[in-house]
Amino acid sequence: MKAFAKTLFGDAWNIIGVAAIVAVAEGLTALHHAEWAVFALPAAGLGVIAWLARR
Amino acid sequence: MDWPAFLPLFLTASVEWVEAFTIVLAVSLTIGWGAAMGAAAAGLGTLAALTALTGGALSLGLDLHAIQLVIGVFLLLFGVRWLAKAIARQAGLKPLHDEDAEFRETRATIGKGDWFAAWLVAYKGTLLEGLEVWLIVVAFSLHSQAWVSNGLVALLALVVVCVAGVAVHAPLRRVPENAIKFVVGAMICSFGSFWTLEALAGDVWPRGDWSLLGLALFFLAGGQALAAVLRAQSRQVAA
Repeated sequence: MKAFAKTLFGDAWNIIGVAAIVAVAEGLTALHHAEWAVFALPAAGLGVIAWLARR
Repeated sequence: MDWPAFLPLFLTASVEWVEAFTIVLAVSLTIGWGAAMGAAAAGLGTLAALTALTGGALSLGLDLHAIQLVIGVFLLLFGVRWLAKAIARQAGLKPLHDEDAEFRETRATIGKGDWFAAWLVAYKGTLLEGLEVWLIVVAFSLHSQAWVSNGLVALLALVVVCVAGVAVHAPLRRVPENAIKFVVGAMICSFGSFWTLEALAGDVWPRGDWSLLGLALFFLAGGQALAAVLRAQSRQVAA
């Protein structure tokens, strides 16, 4: 079961990173700045990828 | 036919089937081709049932935005992980995936066990490697409803890998796995970002679906730049 969960979701750091990306998108949308999220979301994505790659 | 999904789906499935093939090949040397193929077929059957169940359950009129958000997040979970791993390997921070080592490890594991344990290794290997194929098939099919054609693309990749594997009768070590994972990771991150934001904020992407191309280029170029920076940093530390 653990192997299935890890295959689907990745490890805890992966989940935290993606949660941060979604939080950026959700936060900007809630603040009525969704047009900024178009740039902020990919940038946050690359930031999380950089963080995970260094781990 | 869901053409935008073809390339990421085919490449993802190919990489996963190569890994599954290595495990099944290793097991076949212990319990024979027939039993190993039976275990792989059982794993594939489980995946097919899972795909059919998912397709049936998720086509029952759930809210499209909710589905899109779930799929977007799943694709991000998958794409971010693949791209980060590919960057770390390209930068020399992690060793490249080695099919020969995987083959030797599987042989060593089942060498100590019994027939059923070896059969389970082949079944579980096929199922776990195929689970990521299932995820991508489901994600793209939910968007396009092209369940059959997307499933066939995954099967086409399986046939190509099996034909190549049977031809060389050895682990497929020449597949440029890291380069494929890099490209697929960037593509999956693009789809994940696109659908997540569209689910949350509506039609905000400039030029609609064409934004996907810009996102893919961004993640590819950004990933390459990141790999170059990390490689330079690791060389500085080593020097």
